[in-house]
Amino acid sequence: MRIDVVMPQLGESVVEGVVVKWLVQVGAVVEKDQSLLEISTDKVDAEIPSPVAGKVVEILAKEGDTVPIQEVLCRIETEAKAEPEPPPPKAEKWDEEEEGFPGAMARRSGPPIPPAPRAEAPKVAPPTPPPAPEGDKVRISPVVARMAAEHGLDVRSIPGTGIEGRVTKKDVESYLAGKPPKAPPAAPSAAKPAAAPPKAAPPPPKAKPAPPPPPPGAKVTPEGDQVVPFTPIRKMIAEHMVASKRTSPHVHTFAEVDMHKAVAFRAEKKKEGVSLTYLPFVIWAAVEALREFPILNSQVVGESTVIKKAIHMGVAVDTERGLIVPVIRNADEKSLLGVAKAVEDLAARGAAKKILPDELTGGTFSITNPGLKGNLFGTPILNQPQVGILRMGQIVKRPVVVERDGEDAIVIRPMMVLCLGYDHRVIDGVAGNGFLYRVREILEAGEFHL
Amino acid sequence: MAATYIQAINQAMHEEMERDENVLLLGEDVGILGGAFKATEGLHAKFGSDRVVDTPIAEALIVGAGVGLAIQGMRPILEMQFIDFISCAFDQIVNTAATLRYRHGGQTACPIVIRGPCGGGVHGGLYHSQNPEAWFFHVPGLKVVAPATAYDAKGLLKAAIRDDDPVIYLEHKFLYRRIKEDLPEEEYLVPIGKAALRKEGTDLTVITYGSPMHAVMKAARDMASEVDIEVIDLRTLLPLDWKTIRASVAKTGKALIVHEARKTGGIGGEIAARIAEELFESLDGPVIRLAAKDTHNAFAAPMEDYILPNQEKVTEAIRKLAAY
Repeated sequence: MRIDVVMPQLGESVVEGVVVKWLVQVGAVVEKDQSLLEISTDKVDAEIPSPVAGKVVEILAKEGDTVPIQEVLCRIETEAKAEPEPPPPKAEKWDEEEEGFPGAMARRSGPPIPPAPRAEAPKVAPPTPPPAPEGDKVRISPVVARMAAEHGLDVRSIPGTGIEGRVTKKDVESYLAGKPPKAPPAAPSAAKPAAAPPKAAPPPPKAKPAPPPPPPGAKVTPEGDQVVPFTPIRKMIAEHMVASKRTSPHVHTFAEVDMHKAVAFRAEKKKEGVSLTYLPFVIWAAVEALREFPILNSQVVGESTVIKKAIHMGVAVDTERGLIVPVIRNADEKSLLGVAKAVEDLAARGAAKKILPDELTGGTFSITNPGLKGNLFGTPILNQPQVGILRMGQIVKRPVVVERDGEDAIVIRPMMVLCLGYDHRVIDGVAGNGFLYRVREILEAGEFHL
Repeated sequence: MAATYIQAINQAMHEEMERDENVLLLGEDVGILGGAFKATEGLHAKFGSDRVVDTPIAEALIVGAGVGLAIQGMRPILEMQFIDFISCAFDQIVNTAATLRYRHGGQTACPIVIRGPCGGGVHGGLYHSQNPEAWFFHVPGLKVVAPATAYDAKGLLKAAIRDDDPVIYLEHKFLYRRIKEDLPEEEYLVPIGKAALRKEGTDLTVITYGSPMHAVMKAARDMASEVDIEVIDLRTLLPLDWKTIRASVAKTGKALIVHEARKTGGIGGEIAARIAEELFESLDGPVIRLAAKDTHNAFAAPMEDYILPNQEKVTEAIRKLAAY
């Protein structure tokens, strides 16, 4: 029996995947669950296991192809004695007129041109575009369609300057040349949740590294500029950031937090053999504050605010492939140690590309921690449809004024600037400020327990 | 020396009649009067009644006689006093002159030039303003040229006279005395079948010929800060210089065709169709035509302005296409 191996749906909004690498070739005898190929989608990278034991008789998608979900990737014959698949018919060639432009429709004679067999299809997007939500249709000219196919671009991700936002040939050229679009999407803050605690002395500056070689798929222009096509995750981030800025009026508020009690607690636990980073402290404090300010744990649905009962904390994780935001489910049911373990687990699996698609959805609030090199502060972009996000700044020792025995005194304290970004459609300043103030209070009170 | 467009035409005939005694001139009042527009001035005095012949008011006769002379080895220039009346000679042109080489298996040529003033903008009314190129564009065996500059007027007429096939030479009467330029002292020809790239540009291609070429060039200069236009002056309509059009539109991805002749059934339609057929994957916008409205040309100035392309309409069309 011949079994079709199809592009699986890896995540709820995933409509297509890119074939990264074939691990088997036609003729290979495979075991059930043996990895057949690596794919990459908007959300995750994965290996596709063979559903059956048998022989690979046909491979229909080439490396680099973008394949819609449910489309056949390869076929496996479950009985090895099966006859080999006849070679696919060759596409008929025709003469172009001497004057004819490459790709001209003109042809002299002959029977109707059969559709090119799938296996010989060039590296272009499949003819059927991924289903787009209503109102998201794009109208593009033939030349833009051709260029998009040649370069494997999603036209919707290119800012259009033509009539009614049409993407013009020039827009594609600018895009390919790496020129910034008119309104560049704000880069998300990189996050390293599992970053080591700050050391007393900064590491010595390293010698300036040699410029890295161009990433795979990059083109180098005669001027030496590198043109790097977006990876699926880059595209996803770009679209998400632009959509978020367009959807929500962002307000950013800052709090300066004295972290000396957290620092002390951490040092104490370290002696007991428990290693903690500062991120779990902030998550834990945010969860406490969210209970008191549930409006920060909400979503906008139509013209209603849906205040979520469960607190699912999104944690921005920087991976090799880009930024992802896996979710710690029911974070309010976890202790500080439980949160710390969850963070550690997500970071480790993020690095190993083992985050499951479902773990990337359902967050109700997010925290981003850029780690050691996070600088003073940043203004994070909301992770839609959430309405609040906290960003941790670098923890730095500063002279601060405290009151001791009725006297002002200057002391050295590990300080951190927390930035809260919130959606002013649903959250007013009172709630936004109140929440952030409360997070600060909790962190400074230092009533931590594992 | 500076010459107007009509002087350039006159010079071409002087030079060619001097060069080759087989070159003759036939037409209404082309001799003693020197032509209704003075295009043939001085030719009768110089070459006499044997070579510069005043004919009856009968265009079919002029062309028919010209075909006969051509078969006998002459190279007649046949003037239509207004190109509007070329329709009277239609049968002689499309059934006789255009088919001669074909009917004789290539053994006979028909080296005639039919020239006459075409075009509007001079309040000439419906019988003195026509642009008949589309009628002849459809006929194999003919060549059709339409110069827009004095240089081309002279060089193309000399090339037409030397060409062994019947050439319809459309001289735009609006340009007769309105444009003037220095022409080379030495002899030159402008090859038939070769368009001129008047201006290089990257944003869109305007394909034009004849009188509107000047409005297009003015627009290209005036709009330089907003759009970089490439301008092709076809000069020869048949055979069409497709290579030049193709290279330009493949580069810019956008094409606007501007001609003064009517839109429906006009040459612009053929060019647009060929662009769509062969350059589809290069297009970044619709192929747009700017042409006269589908009506007879009016006598009244405001109505004529309404009907024909003008500077304002050219600018508007360029802006529309550039925005795509």
